[in-house]
Amino acid sequence: MAATRAGPRAREIFTSLEYGPVPESHACALAWLDTQDRCLGHYVNGKWLKPEHRNSVPCQDPITGENLASCLQAQAEDVAAAVEAARMAFKGWSAHPGVVRAQHLTRLAEVIQKHQRLLWTLESLVTGRAVREVRDGDVQLAQQLLHYHAIQASTQEEALAGWEPMGVIGLILPPTFSFLEMMWRICPALAVGCTVVALVPPASPAPLLLAQLAGELGPFPGILNVLSGPASLVPILASQPGIRKVAFCGAPEEGRALRRSLAGECAELGLALGTESLLLLTDTADVDSAVEGVVDAAWSDRGPGGLRLLIQESVWDEAMRRLQERMGRLRSGRGLDGAVDMGARGAAACDLVQRFVREAQSQGAQVFQAGDVPSERPFYPPTLVSNLPPASPCAQVEAPSLVGGPWRAEPPGHPLQVPWPVVVASPFRTAKEALLVANGTPRGGSASVWSERLGQALELGYGLQVGTVWINAHGLRDPSVPTGGCKESGCSWHGGPDGLYEYLRPSGTPARLSCLSKNLNYDTFGLAVPSTLPAGPEIGPSPAPPYGLFVGGRFQAPGARSSRPIRDSSGNLHGYVAEGGAKDIRGAVEAAHQAFPGWAGQSPGARAALLWALAAALERRKSTLASRLERQGAELKAAEAEVELSARRLRAWGARVQAQGHTLQVAGLRGPVLRLREPLGVLAVVCPDEWPLLAFVSLLAPALAYGNTVVMVPSAACPLLALEVCQDMATVFPAGLANVVTGDRDHLTRCLALHQDVQAMWYFGSAQGSQFVEWASAGNLKPVWASRGCPRAWDQEAEGAGPELGLRVARTKALWLPMGD
Amino acid sequence: MSAHNRGTELDLSWISKIQVNHPAVLRRAEQIQARRTVKKEWQAAWLLKAVTFIDLTTLSGDDTSSNIQRLCYKAKYPIREDLLKALNMHDKGITTAAVCVYPARVCDAVKALKAAGCNIPVASVAAGFPAGQTHLKTRLEEIRLAVEDGATEIDVVINRSLVLTGQWEGSDFIKTSTGKETVNATFPVAIVMLRAIRDFFWKTGNKIGFKPAGGIRSAKDSLAWLSLVKEELGDEWLKPELFRIGASTLLSDIERQIYHHVTGRYAAYHDLPMS
Repeated sequence: MAATRAGPRAREIFTSLEYGPVPESHACALAWLDTQDRCLGHYVNGKWLKPEHRNSVPCQDPITGENLASCLQAQAEDVAAAVEAARMAFKGWSAHPGVVRAQHLTRLAEVIQKHQRLLWTLESLVTGRAVREVRDGDVQLAQQLLHYHAIQASTQEEALAGWEPMGVIGLILPPTFSFLEMMWRICPALAVGCTVVALVPPASPAPLLLAQLAGELGPFPGILNVLSGPASLVPILASQPGIRKVAFCGAPEEGRALRRSLAGECAELGLALGTESLLLLTDTADVDSAVEGVVDAAWSDRGPGGLRLLIQESVWDEAMRRLQERMGRLRSGRGLDGAVDMGARGAAACDLVQRFVREAQSQGAQVFQAGDVPSERPFYPPTLVSNLPPASPCAQVEAPSLVGGPWRAEPPGHPLQVPWPVVVASPFRTAKEALLVANGTPRGGSASVWSERLGQALELGYGLQVGTVWINAHGLRDPSVPTGGCKESGCSWHGGPDGLYEYLRPSGTPARLSCLSKNLNYDTFGLAVPSTLPAGPEIGPSPAPPYGLFVGGRFQAPGARSSRPIRDSSGNLHGYVAEGGAKDIRGAVEAAHQAFPGWAGQSPGARAALLWALAAALERRKSTLASRLERQGAELKAAEAEVELSARRLRAWGARVQAQGHTLQVAGLRGPVLRLREPLGVLAVVCPDEWPLLAFVSLLAPALAYGNTVVMVPSAACPLLALEVCQDMATVFPAGLANVVTGDRDHLTRCLALHQDVQAMWYFGSAQGSQFVEWASAGNLKPVWASRGCPRAWDQEAEGAGPELGLRVARTKALWLPMGD
Repeated sequence: MSAHNRGTELDLSWISKIQVNHPAVLRRAEQIQARRTVKKEWQAAWLLKAVTFIDLTTLSGDDTSSNIQRLCYKAKYPIREDLLKALNMHDKGITTAAVCVYPARVCDAVKALKAAGCNIPVASVAAGFPAGQTHLKTRLEEIRLAVEDGATEIDVVINRSLVLTGQWEGSDFIKTSTGKETVNATFPVAIVMLRAIRDFFWKTGNKIGFKPAGGIRSAKDSLAWLSLVKEELGDEWLKPELFRIGASTLLSDIERQIYHHVTGRYAAYHDLPMS
């Protein structure tokens, strides 16, 4: 018999039946670091970039603190070099047919498959996450992402005709992220022909490894460039002239700051903010399975953040008992141990959660901790917090510094994010109340609903204001399913068709240019309304135009009780319109909110019927409308054509909305995933000066067709046409559906852009106004679409009624419906 | 065997309130196998523990006293003595939990075990095994005869026609399956059963045992079953009074793994005694 290898401990283990360590060797990760002499630079243009005279940051094992390598910190010139490399690579990469890009992405997937052990050990070693999750989850999904997007690239010419790649994408990732978050974003960007510069936090080797694997594939070295550097580089990268879009994921406050600093800049901004998730446990749920859902969400190293858990009161005790029992069996330890549920995520994450829990305790919350967890830092046990009412001070962070006197750019305070690995449980009484509580936060990321009653599950699934809902599951992901959010979780998407559109723009539209005006004073823009004086009596053959603000279905006198004169093309007085102000905007937004649930609940067919009725009414009013357009300087023929085209737009959107959303089939899941297109809510629209009728209707039609209610500021030059349409809307539409406020354009823009309860804003006007709207949208992070002073050809199909409008007018929700008997 | 199930008033509302989400249970079943593994000494110790849970079974139409005798001897000496010595486990009295045979072979088994000088219990599959579709009278008689012959544990196939019409029966142990079906012990089914055992314990204080049977052939499978019970019910269920694995070929694979652990080599077929 060979020499015995048995250890002495078998006897003890036989009695205790404890688990032992299952160490995963990380020798290959260390060997790879050795190939870089334990000094990691940046990967730019297919080469390692290790400039001299740079600060370096140690890359440490988060558990032992052992120094693994030193990482050079990028400086502004390195950023510029990377953006230049990506810009040069874009020319070739985007010019190739989609199949060429598809082949390249497929080859990258194969390379990852060949070197997956290196990838997962490196990732787990450095981030501290459980290796099992990286190995069985992330690395596999990374390959699936590449394969899925390769297929999308290969069909791009047909499936995405009319769209072209934006250009160089700047990708910014937060300190505690998995390399998978990078894959979710680079795959669609590369697939459609964009190139990427990713700025990763110091000491993140896995993205650098990926860039190296991609770069060594050969012909397209500069398509993926990775820099590591401090957060102070974020604005530098974002404002590089070559960057067409910045995709940012991170904390809400950082996203807000970036939104402000990028106002008026060249680059577009896509935000994915926050990490917290939500789980709704009803009294008809399979409670044991729901408890596993909680484990998946917060205590398994799958999700990045903590969890808010809402439990129906009638099963509260039962659910808490099972949760606590289950927590006792969780194991935490070194991430490279194959049998732990949770690793550790370094000192900063540990500090964060300690502060949160201490604060919660001081507010009277109950804290339960359990599990087999090493007692030393940076390990932190699974934590269940209960009895923390939403109104307690702990649920609110301090108000951020206020900007601009009475016009505060910041709302007074945001509920604190629940950090990993904390679950905050609170009770609810009825499904209706659950929706109120769940939707009563600014966050809109992901949520799961646990209920065995189909009707109730769907009611909750449809009612939750989030980007992703799983029914009786939590945290499932697939490359073909769009993942994103709404409200202050940011409205950028990755995965599925929505992920592709993030990096596309309509073909042939003029390039987005910087409209930055350094002199724009955000505190005073549009603050005061210049006073207007009577300009004489109205004259002319046409009947007197309608007067008042169209709010809540009727014409109302403005709060200011004053009016502004509108002149025709020859300078004569055409009529007076009401001078709307802040209070009128408030009233209009309220009216729109009151009308919203009823309108959004209508079937697309019913909504189309009303749009068609309005189209018919416009045609009956054709002569009046045409004569008013004539007075504004249009030829009679052109004026009549504008009226006819406006009616056609209403009918076209009514018809188009019938075919929205679709069902996805996902590998490994029995049952469908529904891709829903839901209305945004109350949409504020500031119409362009030109095309006073057509532009107004072209914006109104899609907004209403998709179930939004609107507050509109009509053309400043000639608001009378919009008011004519209001006369018909008063008879055709339910009250509050569309509200039209006339007045000083900048002032009304200011009021709408700073309104926290306006869900999205479209602005077609000056460069300065656009810059202000982009800056002010940081308040509730409403999606904005600003024209930046560029005129639009509203009479052309592509610009006046193209797919871009259909994309911006609704938001996506993915609803996962696993099935089984 | 533990204290018998004292029973409780049949309350069908317990059963009607139970919610089981099938896809979620399937996911849990996949996860348990991936999240808990044991290696090295832990694996060896766990495998030896698994041996003590085995109901070493032969349920063949051609069973005779000679292969029953061989089976009983294997039950007494499940792992080669020198391997146990190497692990310093030779004095732990490791035997399988029971031998399990057809009623007609109970006499042979009792005799063989007596000859081997050990008190391993004999279990028998009585009462119309494997379908349970015989008259209650003959079922009861079959049990009585098996007990008379010396069987101390009886695996009863419940009358599933009664279950499907909502008329339940009680027991000390519940078993996943007979081992004679096309699909036998599966993880998802086991998860549901283990959760029912835990709920029953929480409600009544009675601990019901659990026996997966059929299709458990590899040492790795047996480790997964142990961790499943440990995760869903806890360590207190990991004893022969509350947990059994019904298996016939599992033991030889466990012995091969122990051989490998001790020697660092993979065993040849003839290196280990057959059962």
